[in-house]
Amino acid sequence: MSEMTVDAGREAPRTTPAGRRRRRTDPGRLAAYVFLILLSIIYIAPIAMLVITSLKTLPEFTKDAVGLPGSVDFGNFVEAWNKANFPRYLLNTVIYTASSAAIFVISGTFLALAIARRFVRGSSLLFTLFVIALFLPPALIPQFQLILHLGLYNNPIGYIMLFLVNPIGIVILVNYIRTIPVELDEAAAIEGCGYLRYVVQIVLPLAKPAIATVAVLHAIGVWNELVLATIYLTKSDYYPITRGLIVFNGIYGNNWPVLAAAVLMIAAPMAVFFVLMQRYIIGGVTAGAVKG
Amino acid sequence: MQYRFGTGRSRALPYAFLAPGLFLYFLLALGPSLATAVYSFTDATGLPNSPVNWIGLENYREFLTLGAASRENLDALIRTFIFSAAVTLVQFSLGLLVAVLLNQKLRGTKFFRTLFFMPVILGVTIQGLMWTLFLYPLGGPLDSFMRLFGVHLGLLGGPPEEAFAWVVIVQIWSNLGITMVIFLAGLATIPTEIYEAARIDGANRWNVFRDVTWPLLTPAVNTNMVLTIIGSLQAWQLFLVLTGYRPGTQVMGYLVYATAFGQTSGSTAGNTFRQGYGAAASIVLFVVVLVIGLTVQFLLRRREERLLG
Repeated sequence: MSEMTVDAGREAPRTTPAGRRRRRTDPGRLAAYVFLILLSIIYIAPIAMLVITSLKTLPEFTKDAVGLPGSVDFGNFVEAWNKANFPRYLLNTVIYTASSAAIFVISGTFLALAIARRFVRGSSLLFTLFVIALFLPPALIPQFQLILHLGLYNNPIGYIMLFLVNPIGIVILVNYIRTIPVELDEAAAIEGCGYLRYVVQIVLPLAKPAIATVAVLHAIGVWNELVLATIYLTKSDYYPITRGLIVFNGIYGNNWPVLAAAVLMIAAPMAVFFVLMQRYIIGGVTAGAVKG
Repeated sequence: MQYRFGTGRSRALPYAFLAPGLFLYFLLALGPSLATAVYSFTDATGLPNSPVNWIGLENYREFLTLGAASRENLDALIRTFIFSAAVTLVQFSLGLLVAVLLNQKLRGTKFFRTLFFMPVILGVTIQGLMWTLFLYPLGGPLDSFMRLFGVHLGLLGGPPEEAFAWVVIVQIWSNLGITMVIFLAGLATIPTEIYEAARIDGANRWNVFRDVTWPLLTPAVNTNMVLTIIGSLQAWQLFLVLTGYRPGTQVMGYLVYATAFGQTSGSTAGNTFRQGYGAAASIVLFVVVLVIGLTVQFLLRRREERLLG
């Protein structure tokens, strides 16, 4: 599975423009292009609509929803940023995402390492516990009762607690660490290396790709979470950006130009982030999936 | 073979460092997950200090057999099956087709792959709002387009069946990328020499796909099949953004959420939160997912044995 992890993002070498076997009128290739371009239109059109709408004025939108804007005006972005309490929501999201991802990744790496290397008794049983978690009933309701009875309902700490575990992430980490050669452990142990130094100097550098993948996937999940934010956070000062957008939609539901600007301001950075981190993200999706 | 680090007391360090992660897992995931079954036998609510009574199978009896509500529940269950079947069928075959096309030497494969995967990253909120705008009923893009052909659609505000169908489409649009990259990862493991050999033997595209690609793709096929079926049986969040809790469109996941946490949102911790009943509903869904999941896995494994020996 490690091969899949690392190489999932790129496939066999391609586009050798050697010109050999370039059959210009190959109907199969032509059909493939036509199909892919048609499908692209279905993917680009909603995004294009969002961009166009965000640049229009409300009267322009009401008169002709699909027409192009008379003049390019970024007023909607300014209005959305100011009205929607965006800076606050964005800051909340960043705090929730960064703190939960950090705690999960650090505790998860130690956990996964001890299981993968059998440093603790019953490690295979422990691993099984994480694998079956994917098939257990949803924890939603008892989790709510727990947070409620801890007095952490409508509290950022309670909200962050919901994202401190991620069984799929553990499974990915364990599987990856198992592929790291044990010879290095042996060398370190013989040299009398302490556990912490071993983790920091040997495991972390070698497991970096998997840790990065798990961190990025986890962060995306927290960043995009809507349902738990709706359940647990009722005070608007605590809203993450997703909940803020939905509430904004409820208030400005008819003012699509401003709403579109708001959506775009959230979507654009994520799109950029994805393009930059594509390898880790896609690697993680396929690693979590293509295990035995 | 395992190696020991340090001496004496420091031998316990792996245990000490494993403990926090494990504790969090038991407290926040495994424990609550198993407790769902326990809660399903109680009349728990969402109020902090209300007593919780053991009421046995009452929640299940009410959910499955009691009057109009149970008929609605049954409808939601059937709708969940329809949703899952439609999503799985289209997402699986479309994802396979796209992956096979992108696995060829074509221009712009990287662009296409990035584009089709992009919605996965954006999450339900943005997916949902984006499509709410795209399906804007008063002269929005799709409305305008269909009107060119003289078709007037109700879109998300149309009859429940139509709104439901749009959610199916948005669900597929949003998750096609996952299916695609898993197939692409599977395709990348098939050595190109096999294709060359088949081509030299004079096999056409369809033959190559049927006799080479498809059987060798079995691991990715299994993964995608199971993931898509289970994922779509549990999916409901796009309904939250696109349609809201609307009679005639709810699926099981939404029903669980709505009974346990109030229909619209968690704006107040009201006493209408029927968490015991919601837990029973979620166990019903869990059993459905488990039975279907295990059956599919069994069938896929049998197929794999037959194909690969």
